[in-house]
This record gives sequence, C-alpha cells and structure tokens, in this order.
Amino acid sequence: MSLVPTGEMTLGPFFPREFAQGANDLAAGVKQGEVIEITGRITQLDGRPLDNLVLEIWQADSEGRFDNANFFGWGRAATDANGVYRFRTIKPGGLEGRAPHVNFLLLCSGLMRHLQTAMFFAAAEDPVLDAVPAELRPRLVAGREGTVYRFDIRLRGDGETPFFDD
Amino acid sequence: MLPRRNPATQSEGVVQGYAQTFQRWPSQPLVKRPQTRSELTGPSDIARRLAPVRGDLAGHGAKRALGQLIHIRARVVDEDGAPVPGAVVEVWHCNAAGKYIHPNDANDAPADPNFYGAARLVAGDSGLVELRTVKPGAYPVPDSAGWWRPPHVHFSVWGRVWLSRLVTQMFFPGEPLNERDAILNAIRDPQARARCVARFVPSSANFLVYDYQIVVRGRGAAARLE
Repeated sequence: MSLVPTGEMTLGPFFPREFAQGANDLAAGVKQGEVIEITGRITQLDGRPLDNLVLEIWQADSEGRFDNANFFGWGRAATDANGVYRFRTIKPGGLEGRAPHVNFLLLCSGLMRHLQTAMFFAAAEDPVLDAVPAELRPRLVAGREGTVYRFDIRLRGDGETPFFDD
Repeated sequence: MLPRRNPATQSEGVVQGYAQTFQRWPSQPLVKRPQTRSELTGPSDIARRLAPVRGDLAGHGAKRALGQLIHIRARVVDEDGAPVPGAVVEVWHCNAAGKYIHPNDANDAPADPNFYGAARLVAGDSGLVELRTVKPGAYPVPDSAGWWRPPHVHFSVWGRVWLSRLVTQMFFPGEPLNERDAILNAIRDPQARARCVARFVPSSANFLVYDYQIVVRGRGAAARLE
C-alpha cells in the first residue's frame, strides 16, 4: 500500500499557549556537555517581528549521537511580542561527516507549510550546509557571545534565511 | 530515505486572499538537502516530554460545553498504511460560536465557560486517537474580504522521525464554506484536498461520529536508518 502524506496546513494564530510553553530547556538535568543558549529574532518581509511563532528543534548530544537516553534532543519555543525566541540546551557534537548543528522547524500563522532550516556553530564542511549556495551559507552560522549563540531568522526579503525542501 | 512529496498534494506557499502568506513564505526556492541520520531520526517517545492532557473537551451535565456533541476518531498511519502507535497528537479548535480560548482571538463571539479547546492525545497500538468534543463553529477572518473559516479542527502530529512532523487541519463534510476556504483550497490536487475532510459515520450513538485518517511521512521501519 502506498498512501499520500496528508497535506500540511498553517498552524494559524491560535495555537494554545500552554502547548508552546515549558519545552525550551533541553539542558535541565543533563550532566554531559556544555550548556549554551540559542536565541534570535524572527522577522517577515516588511521587517516586523513575528509574535507567537513556534519553533521546534532537534539535535544530537554533545558527542553527536541521536540515541542518548539521558539527553532528549527535542525542544519547542515560541516568539514573544518582539519576535524573540530562546532555547537552553547542550552544544551538540558532530558525527558521521556532519558538522555540529541544530535542526529548526518553524510553524506560524501565514506559513502554509512548516519551514525547515538548520543552525551551524561555525563555517564547516557539511553535506547539508554545502547544499546551500556558498554566498548564503553564512546566514546559517550563528553569531556567538560567550555561551550565547544568536541565530536570527528572516522568513522573506533582504537577508532571507535559506530553508530546506525535503 | 523518505521519498519527496508530490507538491500538488501539499499547500501552496503563497495564497491569494491570505495576506500573511505574502509576508512570510520565502521568496527564494527551497534548498534540496541530503537526508542524514540527523533528519531521519526524531524525537522518539515524545510523550515523555509532552504528556497527554484532556481527552474530552465536551464535558458532562451542568459542565457540558454548548454545541453539537461529536466524536472524532483519527487514525495515524504511515505511507505504508501501517499504524503509528505512540504518535502524539495535539488538537485544538474554537467553540461552537467560533471563538478560540486564545487571548489573541478578537472575534466578537461569546466564550463558553465549559469549553477549553485544546487536547493532547497519544495513539494506541492501532494508531487511533479519539476525541469527544463539540463541533466547532465557523468564524470570519479579520481584515479579509468576507473570508469565513469553515468549521475545522487543528492537528499537530509527530510521526516516527523529524521529517514526519505534520501540522494540518481537519474539515467537516458538507460545509458550503469548504469550497471557498483559502487554506483548504491551497492544496491543488482535489483528491488530496478531499482527504482533509473527515468522513461522517452514521451511528445510533447520542453524538455524531467522524472518522479521519492522518498519513505521516515514513514507510514503517524503513523510515529509520538502521
């Protein structure tokens, strides 16, 4: 049997707040790895920040593994009225030819399908980063101040973030 | 590897009549990327992090929500038609008057003190989640030229891997607003669109029964790398 995956539709403006809260700390109780913060601001074509946009992340543990029973590499956050989101997590390691990275998925009113992108910690050889046109790759590399990594996302317009089609 | 989806079975990014899509959908083509372990693993056992909340939104007796009592039986399957047991499903919808519990809903429709329109369910062995609730109303979209959303229920679903994630909306059969809805009709393929509409199941129960199938990306164990 071969079924067609259900069509995605927009999250809409009324995603319950209780669902969007309480899942943005992946580091709580984790003993292994460097605790970091990932934060950024999300804007649309006219430059306005997006409130109530939901971000989900999926990442490896500090050694690049995705099957660590002591680290749950998934989290969810929502932007505030200034378009700012925040995650507390463990810096992922790289493995199997992949550079350290965090997968991002964005859901929002007016996004008919979810958007996929990825954040990298440094310019590096990586099969996913290499799929992006060279001049756009720096947009997927986070800025850094100490243990805080900054990853702003521009949905559309000047400086638009590269997104993936899977 | 997960096969690429047929774009005709998926929503267009930019939709006439839906102004926000012109501000938010990327103008550049989406980049095709290889699938590695990172994309083909996923948050397994996500119910560990997202515990079930409320399986009954309709309530009982003096606490019964206003509106037509319905029972939604949604089955989560993969592209092989195999059930996805343990799939976490978040559901939310407005009340019978067309009002959401969300503070951002400015619609001039009454709240219902007995209705809280959000539930999180976990699929059993057959991939089934069941929700007892009331049928949501239609409501006008602010700042649109007469666009009314037909009655619909939002679904957020986790399949087996990161790329299986699905957020969608379920519609009700026989609603005249379905044919005019910018969101439902953003899916060009008529059959794919029709599958977003639940099936009414005649029954002698004291509620209306609707069946709905959710197909998440992945083909059984083959969705995994190992």
